[in-house]
Amino acid sequence: MSIIAKATPITATPLPVGPSLARPAPPRIHIRDLTVRYTPDTPVVLDGIDLDLHAGETVALLGSSGSGKSTLMKSLTGFAPITSGTVHVGEVDVARVRPRQLRALRAEVGQVFQQFNLIGRLSVLTNVLAGSLHRAGPLNALGTFRGADRRRALELLDRVGIAHKASDAARTLSGGQQQRVAIARALMQDPTVILADEPVASLDPRMSRVVLDLLRSISRDEGIPVLVSLHVLPLAMDHSDRVVGLRDGRVVVEGRTADLDAEGLATVYENDDEEVED
Amino acid sequence: MATLQDRRSTPQPQLDPRERDRLERAVTVPRSRVVLGAVVGLALVLWSADGAQFDFLKLGEGAANVGEFVTRLFPPDFTKLSLIVALLVETLQMAIVGTVLGAGLSLLMAFGAASTIAPTWLYYPCRWAMNIIRSLPDLVIALMFVSAVGLGPFAGILAMTVGSIGSIGKIFAEAMESVDRGPIVAMEAVGASKRQVVQYGILPQALPMLTSYTLLLFEGNVRGATILGLVGAGGIGLELTTAMNRYEYGHLGAMVLCIVVLVTIIDQASAIIRKKLT
Repeated sequence: MSIIAKATPITATPLPVGPSLARPAPPRIHIRDLTVRYTPDTPVVLDGIDLDLHAGETVALLGSSGSGKSTLMKSLTGFAPITSGTVHVGEVDVARVRPRQLRALRAEVGQVFQQFNLIGRLSVLTNVLAGSLHRAGPLNALGTFRGADRRRALELLDRVGIAHKASDAARTLSGGQQQRVAIARALMQDPTVILADEPVASLDPRMSRVVLDLLRSISRDEGIPVLVSLHVLPLAMDHSDRVVGLRDGRVVVEGRTADLDAEGLATVYENDDEEVED
Repeated sequence: MATLQDRRSTPQPQLDPRERDRLERAVTVPRSRVVLGAVVGLALVLWSADGAQFDFLKLGEGAANVGEFVTRLFPPDFTKLSLIVALLVETLQMAIVGTVLGAGLSLLMAFGAASTIAPTWLYYPCRWAMNIIRSLPDLVIALMFVSAVGLGPFAGILAMTVGSIGSIGKIFAEAMESVDRGPIVAMEAVGASKRQVVQYGILPQALPMLTSYTLLLFEGNVRGATILGLVGAGGIGLELTTAMNRYEYGHLGAMVLCIVVLVTIIDQASAIIRKKLT
């Protein structure tokens, strides 16, 4: 029997995570029957994905390398082509976004990367301010940012506990500190959703928990849904409200973290002898 | 139809036993293509030396004349020191202005010649323009400007500026192409415009290399400015030619010594700055 045949049916129920969510709100991310194929002659990377993300929830995305986690995230920001299906980020239908509207779409989505992707020579503050580039005025060509944005950036650095390093070059920070700066940069966008693609893969276990705690608290406090791809099952169990497991481009496990056990989640990585349809 | 079983049962690629034996040997026999390459390279050098009439015997016979010429330069005659200093200052000024203009225009050209920044319709014309400029000898460029704006340092500055575009523009473009993609991806992800991606994602990373190459350009321009005077394009070169034509070897020796001191100071200062930057 195919493991896909055993996959849990997709349910997208809003999570009761805070008083502001007393009334069900439309999902911030709404994906239906998403298929992604980079070119017509290459295999399907994502196949019939259904997924909703609601305000205030942290969803862990699990799956082996090549299972389609990164492509799923890229499809939300126009970095991967949507072959069929629908993807909505807030009110925006990603499949219908024209090239010149991509900047506005990407500004809606905060992204956190495995390698932090900070500009090492620039100050921590400037790196955070980079999150406001989409709304920067013409004077920004001279390297200036608005006072309100600078105040907001410093508040966010306070939020991630690293304001005392605001003037330091980003390259002088430790990995955990750099990732917190990257999170502040994502928050600076005032995003609809935060996507974190293996954000702790380069960090030690203690710092991994610090960063994931931070992401989850942001999700709960600010109401911003976080989709975070992880490889370490215990981290996913401890730091998410819901888990989605991908395998060969399909959702094979999905449910509230509290309802799943590690053994069930491990099936995402398990090799079995059954045929898997291409 | 691919199966997990098929994938799992695929044998792991093995190192060729003969290659393993070769790698394990303490002294390895060069591969045949290395031997062939060395033979072809040697043949090319011998062919070129023959065509260029390179002759060690002739060099040995002529060494005495070189020694005699050098001895004529001593003792240096510093009676016209004020003139030498004035001409060296002019040479230095030419190099400074030529470097600033050359580096500035090279940077603009490099934006068009960097494949990661420029569209194809701009990339190829910029690359071709730089190739054409680079293929023109500096003295030919200087003669063109001498005929255009007359004798004097202005022609030399223009020659250095244009010559710089051909040489340093290509290096600037390649420096911008070689920066880490991570920060560029991050800038695109926050919704930055093309200009902002260049300003915050590319230039800060390339800046140490751009500065370092500009200093190297300056060193080259100081040396080059002494040559440009030979065709009347200002600087100390014209006085050098005049001294040689008049057999004023003491004066010539003093100028050569002063040039050596100036170039050494600039080289050392430049090396210190470059070391701090990289």
